[in-house]
Amino acid sequence: MPQKVSQGLRDSLVAQIGSLRAFAVSLCGDRERADDLVQETLFKAWNHLDSFKEGTNLKAWLFTILRNTYFSERRKRKREVEDADGSYAARLSSRPEQYGHMDMKDFQAALSQLPDDQREALILIGAAGFSYEEAAEISDCAVGTIKSRVNRARTRLADMLELGETDDDATGGTPPAAKSA
Amino acid sequence: MTVDARKSADRQAGLRAGNKGGLESDEGMSPALQSHIGRHIRAMFDEVAEEPVPDHLLQLLKDLDQSGEK
Repeated sequence: MPQKVSQGLRDSLVAQIGSLRAFAVSLCGDRERADDLVQETLFKAWNHLDSFKEGTNLKAWLFTILRNTYFSERRKRKREVEDADGSYAARLSSRPEQYGHMDMKDFQAALSQLPDDQREALILIGAAGFSYEEAAEISDCAVGTIKSRVNRARTRLADMLELGETDDDATGGTPPAAKSA
Repeated sequence: MTVDARKSADRQAGLRAGNKGGLESDEGMSPALQSHIGRHIRAMFDEVAEEPVPDHLLQLLKDLDQSGEK
């Protein structure tokens, strides 16, 4: 354990908390649990800072700890509670119903329906700003696997939200909210 | 990696990675639709990411810093 963590490293840790929280929320769909995950991640990170090589990718390292924590808890839970999956999906919200009017709630609901690995890949690539190579390292899989997960995630989302070939063309009665421009 | 190179790599990966009935690959998904989805993902992510860091998390780091223990 490092006796004293340098101020610089400490600041870098703090600077990543926002992204870690966002990643945690998108993984588990539950803000309270997300903060628990972040807390555990910070705790583990702090206690293993000596295994982190300064100058390497701190963000990727932290994301790796967080997702490993999440997935190992999830596996545990699955053994304990039979329908962890069902309760998870139901918690966030119902299925998107207002097709064509894709607001944030619809989108989040659709995202929560994705398999864990696809949602994770999509968030890492599409929101957290990682390269395919970094995402592959974080998720401990091949680059091609990340790519195909992202593709499948996008396709599924488009499918669930009934987004057609051209997004402006999505039908469903409700006109899109004044989000364009 | 340029955007274009990534896109085409994407496409090839999609084609290689089991083209199960067309639905499983992003063949045919327009860049416009991809970026539409991308905007939503980023907006959702950023909304949380940009929130102020909760005090209890800052406090945790402070406590760890002071105790210097495992």
